[in-house]
Amino acid sequence: MDHVFGPAMGRRAAIAGATALGAFAGTAEAAGRVRYVTANNNPYDILDPHQVFDIGRIAIRLNMYDALVRWVDNPPKLEMWLAEKVDISTDGKTYTFTLRPNLKFHDGSPLTADDVVYSMERILGLKKGAYGLFSDVVKPGTTKALDPMHVQFTLNKPFAVFMAVLSELWVVNSKVVKSHVKENDWGSEWMTRNVAGSGGYKLRRFDPAIGFQCERNEAHFMPFGPGAIDEADFRVSMETATRVLGMIKGEFTTTDGYMPAEQVERMKASGNVWFKEAESIRTFYFIINSAKAPLNDVNMRRALSCMFDYDGFNNNILGGTVVRNPGIIPNPMWGAPADLKGYTYDIDKAKWYLSQVKEKIRPLQIAAMSGYPQSEQAAQMLQAGAAKAGLEIKVVAEPFTTLVPKFDDPDRAHDLIPLWRSAYFADPHNWTGFIFHSRNFKAGNSSFYKNARVDELTDQALVITDREKRRPLYEEVSRILVEDAAGIFINNTKFYGPYSKQVKSVRFCPIGDTQDLRWIQMNT
Amino acid sequence: MRLLALALRRCLWMPPTLLGLALIVFSISHVIPADPARVLAGENAPMEQVEAIRHKFGLDKPLPEQFVRYVGDVVRGNMGISLYTQRPVADDLVERLPATFELALYAIALAVLVGLPLGVVSALRRNSWLDQIVRLVTIGGLAMAAFWLAILLQLLFSMHLNLTPVQGRIDGWGPDPITGFYTLDALIRGDFETFFAALRYLALPMLTLAIPAMATIVRFTRAGVLNVMQSQFVFYQAAMGLPRRVVIWKYILRAALIGTLTQIGLVFGNLLAGAVVVETVFSWPGLGTYAYQSILQSDYNAIMGFTLFTGSVFIGVNLLVDVAQSVLDPRGR
Repeated sequence: MDHVFGPAMGRRAAIAGATALGAFAGTAEAAGRVRYVTANNNPYDILDPHQVFDIGRIAIRLNMYDALVRWVDNPPKLEMWLAEKVDISTDGKTYTFTLRPNLKFHDGSPLTADDVVYSMERILGLKKGAYGLFSDVVKPGTTKALDPMHVQFTLNKPFAVFMAVLSELWVVNSKVVKSHVKENDWGSEWMTRNVAGSGGYKLRRFDPAIGFQCERNEAHFMPFGPGAIDEADFRVSMETATRVLGMIKGEFTTTDGYMPAEQVERMKASGNVWFKEAESIRTFYFIINSAKAPLNDVNMRRALSCMFDYDGFNNNILGGTVVRNPGIIPNPMWGAPADLKGYTYDIDKAKWYLSQVKEKIRPLQIAAMSGYPQSEQAAQMLQAGAAKAGLEIKVVAEPFTTLVPKFDDPDRAHDLIPLWRSAYFADPHNWTGFIFHSRNFKAGNSSFYKNARVDELTDQALVITDREKRRPLYEEVSRILVEDAAGIFINNTKFYGPYSKQVKSVRFCPIGDTQDLRWIQMNT
Repeated sequence: MRLLALALRRCLWMPPTLLGLALIVFSISHVIPADPARVLAGENAPMEQVEAIRHKFGLDKPLPEQFVRYVGDVVRGNMGISLYTQRPVADDLVERLPATFELALYAIALAVLVGLPLGVVSALRRNSWLDQIVRLVTIGGLAMAAFWLAILLQLLFSMHLNLTPVQGRIDGWGPDPITGFYTLDALIRGDFETFFAALRYLALPMLTLAIPAMATIVRFTRAGVLNVMQSQFVFYQAAMGLPRRVVIWKYILRAALIGTLTQIGLVFGNLLAGAVVVETVFSWPGLGTYAYQSILQSDYNAIMGFTLFTGSVFIGVNLLVDVAQSVLDPRGR
């Protein structure tokens, strides 16, 4: 046992952290209940933390469930949460966690290592949600409760991002879930509408058509700071204009933080809304289908990279609401080389690269994501640049649901797709190995990119647990991806979280985009 | 007896009509190159996970087999499991029905209460300035896109006049359901505060739906009244010395209403089935929002369930209209 994480964030540290958000303003109870209303453009229609794995519904998991570890702050740091200590074996395959004492579920029953084991088995059994994060390294029956306070994971191979992805192992009350199992369904029917968690907030009401309402769990092991939210409504509001009007009028306390620039300006102009601005870890880039000629020719991909007007797009069209990101790994993330030189808009260079292409050049097609103006605008920008270089590009718009199935088939896949790579866990692997390793064709590598050195480096980085030793590997991968023009890397998104004046401060974490109520302080 | 035979005949036509509808919707939704299993699993999920979902929902079976199995399930009252909400589609629809039904009822009531008299008055004062204004307004009401009208109403009544909320069905959560109609439930409980609050939330979506519905009713009523006014029996009644208002409201209106009634039925069916845009703009938690979300997620079962449900509503409404027409017009019996 030579790697020990910790120390865990303690009660004092939590209070200090919360206090650091602002001065004490009296207790929420003394000044009346503090209510918080979030408008979301995704339906909160399923409460089971093991059946879904998306950012849209993450509020359910973050607030009503706990995991062994949790991401906080920006850039995200992994904190011990239900666990207070972890020991990792020298071969990097055995992780032994010590749980905090006196952990309790919402119903008052104790949370033990058995619940952690059951939760892992449930994810593996259901084959839904975050299953893909664990299935390659954790096999059913290999997770053991050594005693009520200790749980041990034995991986079938070293997996450096195991700690990072454990943030998605939401621990459920195994006794409660087991009592609702029907025909070996792991209690999934019951769990879609009920909560069996231990999180900082307890479910009060749920209507899949409206959203859910939760109230603070005073018995939670991590104390709340002053101005903490007493009760919160997470409501569904699909239409952007309605969410904006609701914010201006004060019907919502907050809504999503990735609104179009003009809507941000509209809310700012109202004077009723303030913004939490932060550089996120969500890169915007073009997927290039490298399996199809002529895109399998590196000079063709480089030519395309020189046809995109990065400054014009980032600063003029998006009004500077993003930051130029020359590689795939977001700038604030470790593993992103500080000195990385990306491509610049240079039509002459693009023409030269085109002249070097050995494959026969044909008209290309960009599939923009319909309903996402930024995706469509980027497609048009590249189309305009290509036209100047003498390359014909056709732009089509498709909904995400019809784009996704084509990710599995290079023949059906479009030539180019402008989209975002969001953070599900804050590790460079999320932006490199996951989406560019050739092992992940049909499972993340939608560009069908293959480079033996990238495969080798990302494989190496997966078996080393020391971050400082992994860092140069990812930096090299990032450079290779740019050199190879594996994608057209454009920008990193900035989070512009709109908040009503009732909100005093917010601790932003890109994993969850401030939907973790604990880190929000209200004016009381 | 004849009415009963008519109703029975219509009921017998219901299953083949719904089967045809199901076949059309099934074919269209499966022609779209979407893969709900992949969407549900997530873009980075391994194929094993995608295949497991595909198998669970029977999406790995040949399309004809999927269709036959689906129809068999529907006959047994099972509309399948929503791929996205992971719950029975029938439960999802039943939960959202009261919100849509309440909105549609208020909208059609407003449209009829205002539209009918306006249509009659417009016809009686044909080519007057009042008639011209009514015609202009009704053309506008029919031509305006629902989402545009909705946003205009939000800006005027919510933002500038501060009279109504921007969105939602109520502030916070509604009363514990008895019927699921917030206004009715509030009245049953004697909770007038909630009743008036629910009305405020109803106002804008109701108006957005009612304006085009009203325009349709006005135009059909006006045309019907004008047509009947040329009839010989109207001349006869007038020649008999009956008071003008009796001739209008008892004889002309009854005859003119036959065409309008058909339109009211169709409009009501549309309000129940087609309030997708309005419900989405106003975050109204009804069937329209559900349909919108289902389409975005390529949730086949939910789309099919919604379509079959709305198809049934249309058939049911048409049946009622036919019965009502027979009552009003003995020639149809």
